[in-house]
Amino acid sequence: MAARALQTLLLCNVALLLQLLSPCTGLSLDTVREFLTGEEDTIVFSLIERARYPLNRPAYDPAYLGFGPRHDASFAELFVRESEAVQSKVRFIHPRPAGRYQSLLEIPFFAYRVPFAMAPPFNFTSELYPAPAFVNVNDAIWSTYFNDLLPLLAKNGSDDGNYAVTVDTDLACLQVLSRRINYGRFVAETKFRGDQQTYTSLIQSKDRDALMKLLTSEAQEDVVKRRVQKKAVVFGQSITLDGPIETDARNSSQAKFKVDPSVVYKLYDQWVIPLTKQVEVEYLLHRLD
Amino acid sequence: MDAAAGQQQEPQLSLAAVRDALVREEDSVVFALIERARHPRNASAYTPAAGGGRSLVEFFVREAEALQSKASLLLPSAGRYQKPEDVPFFPQDLPSHLFPAKSYPKVLHPVASLVSVNDAIWKMYFNELLPLFTVDGDDGNYAETAALDFACLQVISRRIHIGKYVAEVKFRDAPQDYSPAIQAKDKDTLMNLLTFKAVEEKVKRRVEKKARTFGQNVTLEDSANKQENVAEDSGCKVDPKVLSKLYDQWVMPLTKDVEVEYLLRRLD
Repeated sequence: MAARALQTLLLCNVALLLQLLSPCTGLSLDTVREFLTGEEDTIVFSLIERARYPLNRPAYDPAYLGFGPRHDASFAELFVRESEAVQSKVRFIHPRPAGRYQSLLEIPFFAYRVPFAMAPPFNFTSELYPAPAFVNVNDAIWSTYFNDLLPLLAKNGSDDGNYAVTVDTDLACLQVLSRRINYGRFVAETKFRGDQQTYTSLIQSKDRDALMKLLTSEAQEDVVKRRVQKKAVVFGQSITLDGPIETDARNSSQAKFKVDPSVVYKLYDQWVIPLTKQVEVEYLLHRLD
Repeated sequence: MDAAAGQQQEPQLSLAAVRDALVREEDSVVFALIERARHPRNASAYTPAAGGGRSLVEFFVREAEALQSKASLLLPSAGRYQKPEDVPFFPQDLPSHLFPAKSYPKVLHPVASLVSVNDAIWKMYFNELLPLFTVDGDDGNYAETAALDFACLQVISRRIHIGKYVAEVKFRDAPQDYSPAIQAKDKDTLMNLLTFKAVEEKVKRRVEKKARTFGQNVTLEDSANKQENVAEDSGCKVDPKVLSKLYDQWVMPLTKDVEVEYLLRRLD
């Protein structure tokens, strides 16, 4: 067992060395926008899948588990912790580092403990500046998702006891929202590189408001919100062989869509876009460290 | 089967309700394939490890299934794999339930829990289906693609194993038609009784339409005419023809295999 672990470690190190030497993929406003646009589809799909199940509140209530090993954790928290541990474990059984959290594109909700002897040195893409590379708002995403979004999303009854299946769909939503919002680090890096002089002076004076203003384009945000709302219409409609294809929410009542398109608009307007910008500002404030 | 609005698990055992469940699964199947198609094939993730060891995907699926069923150790009804349509791919590894699943009324014959075509689904998915809708190549994101593969496998498996309900409904509607064939163990006659070509054609065309709709590139500038343009398929994230082939060659035949297997033991 120890010999195998050592062999894996050696192979990992060789592979890591090769990865560190490879050129990083180009970061530009175009690739950044492309990535964010792609995430919209995933977010809408995940919300639609979650909306199949009832609210299932006990799954999120720490008090409900009563005599479990951790008295202060809800079923959902335990489930997400364990799922993240499984997904990170995957990297140890393959010669090439393959775990979910290695590219820094994704940051787990719960720091997982990994036996030090088995953990290869953490490799991350060299696009991000090291100091703020781990900036994230996962705590805010977690509480916003369960407290604000879920009640708007899960209208299909109150409780079916089917918690593992339900929380699995919650995990998919949380992971994509986290990936999209914490991508603000890459957005910020791109913008910084595009105008180092302006950003540097604002960062040095720690001027959050001015940074936020510089990062905000209301026209662009409006396009994003309307597009993601349209995606909720297109992907959430009931498709029949002879029926029409909907593309406009104004044509029909919100009730016929699997996810209310106005809820998706609100999700982006009140949470996704503001939280992403929060990540951008935090990242920038440490960009010169 | 999904809960009706506001209800605990009330089994709606009518052909209409079962068909609704199947139709809803189509959307999930299309979404799952679209998500998986964002990554290349990553074949080394599902190739068995050197020396005959388990592939990365198999390792992941076993762990994920164990986790999802362990949930019933915390709360009796919370774990997965208690409903007849939720069938694990690696049942031997799962901790046995400590508590009976009393919240699920039994609408199917107990033999339902023995019916599984997951081995066939697993082989079909990796050997036949993946090459059809993922591009050749490797992006190293094995953990993520393993999770996406698992999502595809689960939804395809669930759709196919809803066949148990289909079989039960059809049997209850006409026991006199099915009983002789069951008693004679006549698979061919049973298969004929269960096959409705017209319905199957509709399913294929509808799932193709869903792939075309959900797989399109949605932009704000789209005009209404775009949907009629068949040539747009090339811009689709998943080739709609792959979906109709998936249903035609594998999903619907395997569903009927489940129905036949269930029926053969229905009178036990």
